[in-house]
Amino acid sequence: MTSPTTPGPLGLDDHGLAACVQCGLCLPHCPTYRVTGDERRSPRGRIALMRAVEWEGAVPDDEWHEAMDTCVGCLGCETACPSAVPYGRLISGTREAVAAERRPPLHLRVGLRLLSWPGLVRWGSRAIGVVQRLGLLRRTGVLPARIPLRAGRSRTDGKGASRGDGATGEVVLFTGCVMDAWQPEVHTAVVDVLDAAGIGVERSGDRVGCCGALHEHAGLVDDARAHARRVVAAMAGDRPVLVDSAGCGAALKHYGDLLGTDEARAFAARVHDVHEWCAADGRVQGLLAGLAPSSGPDPSTEGGVPVARPTVVVQDPCHLRHAQGCHGSVRTLLAPVADVRELDDEGLCCGAGGAYQLLQPEIAGAARDRKVAAVHRAARGDEVTLASANPGCSTHLAADRSLAEAGVGVRHPMELVADAVRRSGNGTRRA
Amino acid sequence: MALGLYSRDGSVTRGGRAGVVCFPETTDEVAACVRIAVAHGRAFVPRGAGTGLAGGAVPCDDPVVVATTRMDRIHEVDVERRFAWVGPGVVNLDLTRHLTGTGLHFAPDPSSQQSCTIGGNVANNSGGPHCLQDGVTSAHVLAVEVVLPDGEVVVLGDEEGRAVGYDLRGAFVGGEGTLGIATRICVRLCEDPPEVATLLLGFARVEDAAATVSAVIADGIVPAALEIMDQRVVEAVEPFVHAGYPTDAAAVLIVELDGLPAGVAAEVERITAIGHDHGAGTVRVAADEDERARIWKGRKSAFGAIAVIKPDYYLNDTVIPRTRLAEVLAKVYEVVDERDLIVMNVFHAGDGNLHPLIVYDAREPGVMERVLEAGEEIVRISVEAGGVLSGEHGIGLEKKRFMHLQFTDADLVAQDRLRRAFDLHGLANPAKVLPTGASCGHVTSLGRPPEGMWV
Ligand SMILES: Cc1cc2nc3c(=O)[nH]c(=O)nc-3n(C[C@H](O)[C@H](O)[C@H](O)COP(=O)(O)OP(=O)(O)OC[C@H]3O[C@@H](n4cnc5c(N)ncnc54)[C@H](O)[C@@H]3O)c2cc1C
Ligand code: SF4
Ligand code: SF4
Repeated sequence: MTSPTTPGPLGLDDHGLAACVQCGLCLPHCPTYRVTGDERRSPRGRIALMRAVEWEGAVPDDEWHEAMDTCVGCLGCETACPSAVPYGRLISGTREAVAAERRPPLHLRVGLRLLSWPGLVRWGSRAIGVVQRLGLLRRTGVLPARIPLRAGRSRTDGKGASRGDGATGEVVLFTGCVMDAWQPEVHTAVVDVLDAAGIGVERSGDRVGCCGALHEHAGLVDDARAHARRVVAAMAGDRPVLVDSAGCGAALKHYGDLLGTDEARAFAARVHDVHEWCAADGRVQGLLAGLAPSSGPDPSTEGGVPVARPTVVVQDPCHLRHAQGCHGSVRTLLAPVADVRELDDEGLCCGAGGAYQLLQPEIAGAARDRKVAAVHRAARGDEVTLASANPGCSTHLAADRSLAEAGVGVRHPMELVADAVRRSGNGTRRA
Repeated sequence: MALGLYSRDGSVTRGGRAGVVCFPETTDEVAACVRIAVAHGRAFVPRGAGTGLAGGAVPCDDPVVVATTRMDRIHEVDVERRFAWVGPGVVNLDLTRHLTGTGLHFAPDPSSQQSCTIGGNVANNSGGPHCLQDGVTSAHVLAVEVVLPDGEVVVLGDEEGRAVGYDLRGAFVGGEGTLGIATRICVRLCEDPPEVATLLLGFARVEDAAATVSAVIADGIVPAALEIMDQRVVEAVEPFVHAGYPTDAAAVLIVELDGLPAGVAAEVERITAIGHDHGAGTVRVAADEDERARIWKGRKSAFGAIAVIKPDYYLNDTVIPRTRLAEVLAKVYEVVDERDLIVMNVFHAGDGNLHPLIVYDAREPGVMERVLEAGEEIVRISVEAGGVLSGEHGIGLEKKRFMHLQFTDADLVAQDRLRRAFDLHGLANPAKVLPTGASCGHVTSLGRPPEGMWV
């Protein structure tokens, strides 16, 4: 038998590992258990398998690895666990130990390496965008249906302090890598909303680059640390750092743990999810209150034609709900501009999980089917837009045929807010 | 190594190992699993979500484990006639969620309802906080389609809930998987109450909370739920749910009332008065649905939350006459204190269904013996007070050694005959419930499985 003081082969925190009482209350909150009904695909099962190796000296076999590889890392189990089992730490520790022995697949490693060069991502994405338009690529959930040909404006070479490029903004918008190439309109939406509220924004740009979340997820913790160090160094100062991709936001907030330095902890404390920050800012609140139908001239008209408030179904990315716990702010921001409808699945993961959809397409697809069914239930046949604050989730969901057929578009919550701001004529003010 | 994952449920009992684990999706597939197992002289063990607290789904002697988790379809809901046909793997709370908007719900609400399956509820005849008024699972099962231990498929009961001839449906509910496998279940649906009020009363002494329970019932009120949590439980769950439980109270009593608005309002007043008469320091009525939900989430997280204090738990489930609650509880604390252990009490007070949760760290040498001794002593005290061994968690593996404390030999022989009538060869979940036959499984810490467990 083991003593809690000897670290096992996975080097996991013994206290955290011991905290699981095997009650099973987490089971329904785990997407991979939900779609398979199998203990090997459950948090409880995975923890038991970690214990087997850590405490009993069992040697990981293929089945063991498969159990770990199929975890999305959504942390739905951590939120659900009444015993405060630190599942996130256990699985990333496990992944790190495993990656040291058994390297992730080559295509994943190469793909992740590429993220270090945002310029390259934009260039490559544009090339894919052309191929897509020529109809040469099949639709998958991994790439957006139509990658924009004009990528983001995040390069800090944007001379002349036009909006969002000013180096003197009150806040910095973290622009990341893939998001900047695939969904540049989201950054623009954030800049427009902040601008209308009179808040200057600087885009972090290429010198800051990728957050390293996908690397950490794959167990490539050294690479993740290298990214983290680069981000921290490139964003010195004390201005708030706003993040509009839930996945990147969770990663940035976690830098203190990842690097373990005071500098990283101080940086992490400056990081805010964009919704979280806006919901707490009086100026943005004031701007949105001015848009609400009750006050002032009817804002929901466009050239005299009434524009209906959109009906929005909110999908909570796990990185917002489980990792950052600030999904409530999305509702605070949307409430003045849209009729918000909730899903009835308690934030069960949609299966996107960064590169997960690529590596485990079967489970990811089944998890998406569950999510899509919940969206249809919430829509009740009405015309709705699905709001998702994470690029991985939104591309994964937008690739679903039945949503497309039902005319359900997937957009970032900040885009919906920006729409309303622009409609009201507020969005054109320049800094 | 992964078969080891099927060697346990939510309890501390671990048995042998699963020989094979099957995931059938249809009744025919279940029947095939059973027939093949039996043809090879292998035992089979039904398994739902594995949240059982008595080791019922723990495999003995390499059996075929038949997991019902993929039989999770809701086949039919008849709102008019108020019943639903469901697969055994449907999660309890999923059914009630599915019924949103119909004005109906499935009443049995074990604290594990977010995870446990309706098949498991039927097999254990599970209860829950709201079963005080509505009755336990057996009162909500109209019919069951069962794969018998020889592979034959039968339907017991019917949609109207009328038993034709002997009520075999009644015999099957609570069978703990020893009488066959439920493959489709017709459950009764209850109407949602027009008004609900949830009260939280804090007491400086556990006995006062217990006395309040007796006084409420004596007053002629039957609340929808009456639950007590002692201070340790409250301290463990409050940081998780932020329900605003009074953490300085020695015991908290949750009372839920439902019915027509005027009646509920009158009862709230009455209970507030009774509470104050019995020394309640605080009485709070939940202001909205969110606060209500948090109060219940706290109560229903209790067994899960204990790791905040110690990593292992041993749980009893005895039922005692409600009038003797205060006295038996005092003895329970004494028994546990004497053995230098910690007990957390959280229970269905209205039913007198105790759940003393002994928490410990199994890595402490010799602790297991003291835990088991205290557990046995608690059963003895309860039975002596005129109570029974298990209220709702079943006997499974873990409690069968106590059966003789409650039943005479003649009783046990009669029960064995019933079992044999369903299962001639003794291959349906053997070694469970009745203290006959070979034993298997050890009550042990989950953290310290016996050597070789994982290979
Ligand atoms: C945190 C927590 C709180 C709990 N609270 C309560 C409570 O308030 N009230 C309560 O009564 N219980 C409670 N329980 C115990 C447990 O959840 C219930 O007994 C539940 O009904 C078990 O369901 P399951 O699907 O997990 O069954 P399992 O644990 O998988 O199996 C339980 C038994 O049922 C048999 N079985 C399962 N499916 C079938 C089937 N289709 N046909 C025939 N036999 C079958 C198994 O062989 C086994 O004997 C709690 C457990 C936990 C962990
Ligand atoms: S992780 Fe938490 S919720 Fe899941 S089985 Fe363990 S203690 Fe229970
Ligand atoms: S992180 Fe998500 S996928 Fe992994 S075990 Fe937890 S709930 Fe399941």
